[in-house]
Amino acid sequence: MGEATVATNPAAVAAKHKLASSFKRKGILIALFSGFLYGFYTAFMTLGMSKGVWLEWYGENSGLSAFAVMYLLGALGAATTDTCSAVWALSIAGLKGKLADFGRCIKTKPGMVMVAAAIIGGPLASTAYVVGLQMAGSLVVPIAALCPAVGAILGRFLFKQELNARMLLGIAICFGASFMIGSTSLDGAGGPNMMLGLFFGFLAAVCWGIEGCVCGYGTSLIDPEIGITIRQVTAGISNLFILVPLFGMIAHVDAFGMAVQSFTDPDAIIWFVLAGLSAYLTFMYWYKGNGMCGAALGMSCNGTFSFWGPFCCWIILGVTMGMEGWEMPAIAWAAAVIMVIGIFIIAMNPMDLFKNNEEAA
Amino acid sequence: MYPLNYAILKHFTKVKEASAESVMEALKGQYGDFKAFKKGEIINALMTAEANGLLEESRFELNSNQELEVFYRAHKEGAATINQYIK
Repeated sequence: MGEATVATNPAAVAAKHKLASSFKRKGILIALFSGFLYGFYTAFMTLGMSKGVWLEWYGENSGLSAFAVMYLLGALGAATTDTCSAVWALSIAGLKGKLADFGRCIKTKPGMVMVAAAIIGGPLASTAYVVGLQMAGSLVVPIAALCPAVGAILGRFLFKQELNARMLLGIAICFGASFMIGSTSLDGAGGPNMMLGLFFGFLAAVCWGIEGCVCGYGTSLIDPEIGITIRQVTAGISNLFILVPLFGMIAHVDAFGMAVQSFTDPDAIIWFVLAGLSAYLTFMYWYKGNGMCGAALGMSCNGTFSFWGPFCCWIILGVTMGMEGWEMPAIAWAAAVIMVIGIFIIAMNPMDLFKNNEEAA
Repeated sequence: MYPLNYAILKHFTKVKEASAESVMEALKGQYGDFKAFKKGEIINALMTAEANGLLEESRFELNSNQELEVFYRAHKEGAATINQYIK
């Protein structure tokens, strides 16, 4: 690689410095915003799954087996959200004149890589996560929070992205903070197949790590708004037409009829529509932030969803809707501060602050 | 016809260096009526490609309008990656 020629005009140097720092700052803000919107996505999807026909399905007299309640309803909730999200993505791409490029991209090699990554990070990761939760209990929650570390390591090997000891320390701090939040839901129940469950939790982290790293890099080739349209259309179709019918067959229930009810229940669908919009935005900003900052920093900023998730659920479900059991534990606030420190350490060398001060003096 | 982002990247495998302005000049015939054919979006695409090692900065200057113009080039490895993914 050649060396860049440095302009000697001080005004050009200052403008260039401003452009570069603005790009990095924008990347970090976008990645943080993706974590924040993930909280809304979680809260609205949870709300949708607690309204209308969902109340019957989760009720004691639903006639559904434990398997159907755990897996089929989980997949159906995700399928409804992802399909709404795909409609949002296609509509926004249409409004912005990007629909033709969506058609052109999806047929190409990077488009197919995005489809594969969306399947890995969508239905595969979600199923692994739910199965892990079922087998090993809530210990799987913090294990799945390892995904930024996996993404950063994969980014280093696959795309030669920067990953040094300082960044690893920052990732470890962020993981510790996510673990602190996850630990509040640890019930010690464990489940009958603890080790296998933990394996599935780790598998989910690997799948999300692959998706974040590959699709983040993919946005250097494909416009993020087109990339996310590919992702949501893939996730919607694979959840709705593969996962839901599969779980329906295993559970011996009419999955098609349930899917129709899920989309037509007026009390629930409005929240799924909002969840779909939040999902569109959170994943688009996730890809975009990872593309702008690299997987290590982008995914750690996105990893703040482990704080924003309970926070948004508390605001929307607890404070706004008056539902009980959504209060924020105090440890989550402490963990949020630790996460900020971790992200700061990944983003920059704290010693540079002193250097800049010395230079200014 | 390539998607816009592909056309932007592919352009760098054909020229020694280019800025957002010169990319727009080269592609306006085919992509000028695209809603996304805006300088800000193209600068973002170039900087993202640089952040992911597809392009590298070659030089920058203030143009005749006293606006910053950053030039990028596809180094050997970047050009090979672009050509590998975009046929």
